[in-house]
Amino acid sequence: MPRVTVQVRDAAGNTATAAADYNLSQPVLGGYYLSGGADPTADMAGGNFRSLTQYRSFADGYIFPGYNRPWLVSLGKAGVQMNMVLELKHYGSPNHGPQSFTVDGTSYTVPAPAMTIQQRPGTTFPRAYGYGQVLSGQCDGLFARALSQYRTLGFGVNIQLASEFDTDHEFGTTEDGKTYTWAESDARAVQAVNYILTWFKARSLPANTTFSVGLAGFDRACFQRTHPESLMARLDFLQWNAYGTNASHTALARFRRTKDWAVADLGPVALSRPVIIAEWGVRSAEIPNQAAWIATVPAAIAQLNAERGPRIARTNYFNSGWGTLTPKATGLAALRAAYATRPYV
Amino acid sequence: MAAPTATAALNASVFAPGDQMLLTVTYSDADTKPLTVTVVVTDAQGNSSAPVKVTAVIDPLTVTVTDSSGRTWTRVSDNGSVAVYRSVA
Repeated sequence: MPRVTVQVRDAAGNTATAAADYNLSQPVLGGYYLSGGADPTADMAGGNFRSLTQYRSFADGYIFPGYNRPWLVSLGKAGVQMNMVLELKHYGSPNHGPQSFTVDGTSYTVPAPAMTIQQRPGTTFPRAYGYGQVLSGQCDGLFARALSQYRTLGFGVNIQLASEFDTDHEFGTTEDGKTYTWAESDARAVQAVNYILTWFKARSLPANTTFSVGLAGFDRACFQRTHPESLMARLDFLQWNAYGTNASHTALARFRRTKDWAVADLGPVALSRPVIIAEWGVRSAEIPNQAAWIATVPAAIAQLNAERGPRIARTNYFNSGWGTLTPKATGLAALRAAYATRPYV
Repeated sequence: MAAPTATAALNASVFAPGDQMLLTVTYSDADTKPLTVTVVVTDAQGNSSAPVKVTAVIDPLTVTVTDSSGRTWTRVSDNGSVAVYRSVA
């Protein structure tokens, strides 16, 4: 840690000394996600892309690196920092019944997912393994399967548990016919996350393994409920997502919304953790000039990091859904230019 | 003679490479006094010149800034009790 020392001396040689320590931060890592979990290598080539988000369901038999995704290993070995979002959510493949499989010689049978989440009225509710199922040990086989694959990957990753607990719980959840409110679902999720952390941390993990929990970050009370200090002591990062979806949305305002809540509501352990923005984007329907909006992001991140509170360490552009770059070439060029700018360099 | 006092404060504790860093040094010494000497020259006939004022400081303080990482700190301002220095991260 560098130290600057000040000495004040009078004419007779009497002195007083004072010192101040400071740290230099690493550049913020500019990152990416490509729709469908597709191979982003070509989009990232030649640009300062150093971080990537990926999504996997614990229900999937191929989590690390994923089915037919050898490029993830190549990127990881090249130093791209991986944020692997692992979800209890079932992605809805035709088979969402029970599973039986063998991991390193041990046989497991995992029952069908018993919870529904994202219960927005008028939609089909996705299934997920229930927090009760996790706590009763029914999902241990899923964790064992993921860990076994992870150990062959060759590098450490950040494991983000859930994509967005607030989105998952916003309209309550149901497990085994019992309904839970948003707040109850948050509390149950924290218990389940603690169970999963205990399960993984009791076992040998690849070096540089880190953990976080996933939130969109659009609801202040939910963000507070899902970040108790007892949980944050076991996590390495804060995380939220940031989207510009209205013509009035500035990058600074969108990235800072959840940060301001965190600074006001969370404890010192939570605030000591750097932040992964697992997804950020700008929706072209309301903000057609995506490139201009993207160009304002570096200064916004620099300003936020100069303020009190947790430091944003990685920002991964979500080139899908709300963030779809249209036209792609223009958006990608803007992203490359942004990531070539301080604080990304 | 009294011993001087000093405090040093940076405008942040973590800096991104290339950031401007500002160091504020607050210092004082009980002996340090500003002083104004006013000179009037008077000849034998009693004609006096206009008064001329000069200022001086008793026991002035010197401030030295060093950095363990070798960064150079440049003085931006100094009013005799608060000095601001600038460097680049």
